[in-house]
Amino acid sequence: MDPEQINEFVVGYLKKKGFSSAAKDLESYHHQNNNGSSFTSVDYHNDPELTKLIRSFSQQEDDPTRYREGYSKLRSWAYNSLDLYKHELLRVMYPVFIHCYMDLVGKGHTQEARTFFNSFRKDHEMVHLRDLQKLEGVLSPSHLEEMEFARSLRKSKVNIKFCQYSYELLLQYLHSTVSTLMLGIINEHINFQVYSGQPTSSSDDIEAVTIVGSFQDTANHINQKEIQWGLLEDSLEDRLEKTGGLLSDSEKGQGESKDGDADDSKKRSTEIGKQGSSLKKLKKDKAGNATAKVARLETITVSPAPRVKPELALPVMSTDVEQSILEDLRNRVQLSSVAMPSVSFYTFVNTHNGLNCSSISHDGSLVAGGFSDSSIKVWDMAKIGQAGSGALQAENDSSDQSIRPNGRRSYTLLLGHSGPVYSATFSPPGDFVLSSSADTTIRLWSTKLNANLVCYKGHNYPVWDAQFSPFGHYFASCSHDRTARIWSMDRIQPLRIMAGHLSDVDCVQWHPNCNYIATGSSDKTVRLWDVQTGECVRIFIGHRSMVLSLAMSPDGRYMASGDEDGTIMMWDLSTARCITPLMGHNSCVWSLSYSGEGSLLASGSADCTVKLWDVTSSTKLTKAEEKNGNSNRLRSLRTFPTKSTPVHALRFSRRNLLFAAGAISKPAN
Amino acid sequence: MSIVPKETVEVIAQSIGITNLLPEAALMLAPDVEYRVREIMQEAIKCMRHSKRTTLTASDVDGALNLRNVEPIYGFASGGPFRFRKAIGHRDLFYTDDREVDFKDVIEAPLPKAPLDTEIVCHWLAIEGVQPAIPENAPLEVIRAPAETKIHEQKDGPLIDVRLPVKHVLSRELQLYFQKIAELAMSKSNPPLYKEALVSLASDSGLHPLVPYFTNFIADEVSNGLNDFRLLFNLMHIVRSLLQNPHIHIEPYLHQLMPSVVTCLVSRKLGNRFADNHWELRDFAANLVSLICKRYGTVYITLQSRLTRTLVNALLDPKKALTQHYGAIQGLAALGHTVVRLLILSNLEPYLSLLEPELNAEKQKNQMKIYEAWRVYGALLRAAGLCIHGRLKIFPPLPSPSPSFLHKGKGKGKIISTDPHKRKLSVDSSENQSPQKRLITMDGPDGVHSQDQSGSAPMQVDNPVENDNPPQNSVQPSSSEQASDANESESRNGKVKESGRSRAITMKAILDQIWKDDLDSGRLLVKLHELYGDRILPFIPSTEMSVFL
Repeated sequence: MDPEQINEFVVGYLKKKGFSSAAKDLESYHHQNNNGSSFTSVDYHNDPELTKLIRSFSQQEDDPTRYREGYSKLRSWAYNSLDLYKHELLRVMYPVFIHCYMDLVGKGHTQEARTFFNSFRKDHEMVHLRDLQKLEGVLSPSHLEEMEFARSLRKSKVNIKFCQYSYELLLQYLHSTVSTLMLGIINEHINFQVYSGQPTSSSDDIEAVTIVGSFQDTANHINQKEIQWGLLEDSLEDRLEKTGGLLSDSEKGQGESKDGDADDSKKRSTEIGKQGSSLKKLKKDKAGNATAKVARLETITVSPAPRVKPELALPVMSTDVEQSILEDLRNRVQLSSVAMPSVSFYTFVNTHNGLNCSSISHDGSLVAGGFSDSSIKVWDMAKIGQAGSGALQAENDSSDQSIRPNGRRSYTLLLGHSGPVYSATFSPPGDFVLSSSADTTIRLWSTKLNANLVCYKGHNYPVWDAQFSPFGHYFASCSHDRTARIWSMDRIQPLRIMAGHLSDVDCVQWHPNCNYIATGSSDKTVRLWDVQTGECVRIFIGHRSMVLSLAMSPDGRYMASGDEDGTIMMWDLSTARCITPLMGHNSCVWSLSYSGEGSLLASGSADCTVKLWDVTSSTKLTKAEEKNGNSNRLRSLRTFPTKSTPVHALRFSRRNLLFAAGAISKPAN
Repeated sequence: MSIVPKETVEVIAQSIGITNLLPEAALMLAPDVEYRVREIMQEAIKCMRHSKRTTLTASDVDGALNLRNVEPIYGFASGGPFRFRKAIGHRDLFYTDDREVDFKDVIEAPLPKAPLDTEIVCHWLAIEGVQPAIPENAPLEVIRAPAETKIHEQKDGPLIDVRLPVKHVLSRELQLYFQKIAELAMSKSNPPLYKEALVSLASDSGLHPLVPYFTNFIADEVSNGLNDFRLLFNLMHIVRSLLQNPHIHIEPYLHQLMPSVVTCLVSRKLGNRFADNHWELRDFAANLVSLICKRYGTVYITLQSRLTRTLVNALLDPKKALTQHYGAIQGLAALGHTVVRLLILSNLEPYLSLLEPELNAEKQKNQMKIYEAWRVYGALLRAAGLCIHGRLKIFPPLPSPSPSFLHKGKGKGKIISTDPHKRKLSVDSSENQSPQKRLITMDGPDGVHSQDQSGSAPMQVDNPVENDNPPQNSVQPSSSEQASDANESESRNGKVKESGRSRAITMKAILDQIWKDDLDSGRLLVKLHELYGDRILPFIPSTEMSVFL
């Protein structure tokens, strides 16, 4: 720090404190002294206390324009720096920007804060738009205290990975220009993780652009925990593998014909025909099934999915349910990037903008819709299929449609909630419907009795989502009160409460082995929770907006999450790292579903498309990626546009038929 | 400071009954108001997302207020978006556009239809990864097929310059559809069914894969079936339906379709029986041609020029049959009066002299030939007539009093001076009409009448004036031209003086242009009259006629 600078500080301080005459004297003294230039007798450089003091003076000097000057200087310097290191240096800009802004607000310079914010907002809009929108509203020191997001930002430090040279560059700049203010902010809020070697490419490091609250460190810490992502021992699929090869062909044929009978909707039966035809191919596979499957598993995951013990007491499955599931699994169509699934689309018409959610049962025969008028409607597609053309004719009639010739509605109306229904899901066998609503309750309905069985109260705010566990009986819910809860059907109190998200928990999904649940939140993270202990075991950071949908791969190794911007991220559960973002949708991803054997991922979005993604190749490529660095991968397989119908729900049936549902957004004609 | 100005806070405070709010307090409150509004919006957006919507509604805001334990604002959850209006004189003040509704109207109105109940419709979005072309699905993109071929080509690389045949999968349903349509077109029976088929062709989405087959079919059948009049007509109907279908992208196939259509227009012989009304077919084809040129002329720049060249060649070749001439004339006429003026009228005189002997029963003994000649003559007359009609029609909607007055030589000033007066009067009366109607019921019919006048072209207003001055109408056309030539500048000056100064300059330009056009059409009219005699007269608008005579 050179003497002139110190003089300036001292003079400024005196002036501020009202000793204007003293300041003047000092100034004139220095003037003379400078000509003489024999001032320095004390070693300022080696006195950290003094430097600190001076620095604090400089900050106390209440000049809001200094922030602007300092920031714009730093900005132009970063933009003009070497291309190789530029993107690393630019990462510093955002934390500095928001902290400058919050400093200004905190000191009460609202006007200056606003102009500062607006003049540099453009730089960060692309990546941090939503954060900026939140921060924009902060206009007084009390808001800083009140707003969770701002508070966590103030408290926390941002981790930024820097290569050695970029770090040196930055320090050099800050020292040479004596921009103490910027240095202060950077010291206070940024934690540099300096590594030796070449800088990484800009697109690679997602964490670099996401600023989360204080839990960046804790996240890393949490993610060290061990998780058992394997499948349950003695799962049905295992049993199928054991028994599948032994089944005689005649038995299979019988099963097939039985299916034909059981299948009620016309369309489904045609589909079964198709599945039957592809079954031949399947049978061929079956011969060497066990070896083939193991081989496939090996190609995907190197080692076959490990088996784990269930931590919950799981319900016993009745034998006929088990049989039907086994039957389905046996008749499953093998899907891959060359063998695409068929998609059956259920379009809701005349919803009058009231459809909040929809859900399809595991066999696709039941469809439920939750409406903003608190009602839930359940359609039995099997019956509609039987009514067949009669139903269609009734639709064309201008007369009252809701009452069929036989005097009945085409759906079952479930009334009980007292607020918009935000989710409705079927239990795996399809005998129960679980619904959650803005009235803070979760209700359990029986599809056989068409009546409400239980009302679960516990959340204090609207319940956004509720999901049955893969084996039924247990279910998870999540709410605006920032918690997720685990329930069992026979108790009206929650079994576990998962707290930790910084904002609303928007969606919840069970891990296939029932030991974990994943929650997606408005704080832009996804967390994985241990059901038994209620602890958070993984935090997935990388989304840039609210997480709306989650799906777990059937082998339990991967998870997909979709957000408000249309980005889908594939996560590896064990490492908590994003394998790859899947870009393609340009609006909210409402729904995600893995195909039965986990080779395809289907996504449904508000942009009125269903997309199919090849996720086997993505996982394969990550192996390659480990060797030869990052490559930009695109593996959207197909896009199926609908006629202006946003896709609300998706479900792969056990036989790998894809069901999709949505409400047509434009009234016909 | 805050985007909420302190005035807004003051207004809100007044609206809830706080009148003594200090300006400082308002200033302090403003940032907090902004913060709260943002907070509510943030929650409302969450509600919107969980309702699986992408547009924010009033109910979402209510939901957000509920989340914050604030009483929701009642009375806005009507579903539809609000229409906000800007308050006049204020930059940032808006209010909802609430119309006053009369109770009586509401009570007397018939009950609205009960809203339709929610239904589920099921369809195949994809079958084994392929989207079936059914009406429930979005129409397939046309670009997709070429994209695939491109991939093929790229794969082959520049080494082998062989295009792999594009694998074209046509679904069973589409094949059946095509067969049915083709059968119907060939069978000539069952016209109601055929009509239905045409409607389907004109409206169904998902037919696009069939377009190449249809064009091929049409081209084949037209070249083979020139003797079968009914078939040709059916085929032309198919062409029209295909052109009408909004889901079909027919442009790439136009080059295949055009020859067939033009054949139906200018072929020597269409149909083999005497009773076949091939004239009608030619007219239909002419309409098709004009439709195509109108729709695709801008994209396909050479289309119209090539077409007109073909047609003019057919017309000007004396060796060609009269039926061919007829077709060519109809085709050209359908392309608009500019084409007619440039291509037909320029050749009219020599052609008519050629046609003359054919028309004459004494010189031409063959009755059929005479009939055909008259047909051609009629077509020519119609083309020329429509052309002149179109040209003369340009004038009435112009803001100035019709320059046709300039033909009249003398006494212009008078007419012009009366004219704006009249118009003003009529406009006034129409403006005052509603009060008049209410106050004096006796005046009713008058008001209506005056409105009628002002509503239609000013020409009509002039009519009585012209009738008042019969001598002017008897001026010879040729002399009128000369006279007006001489008086042009003078009259314009007079005009300019009389009309307001503000309009003077534009007026002058418009008048200049119109005068030129008018001179042209005047000459044209004279020429046509010389050639056709009185037969051209029915085509000329009545007022023009009165001028002309």
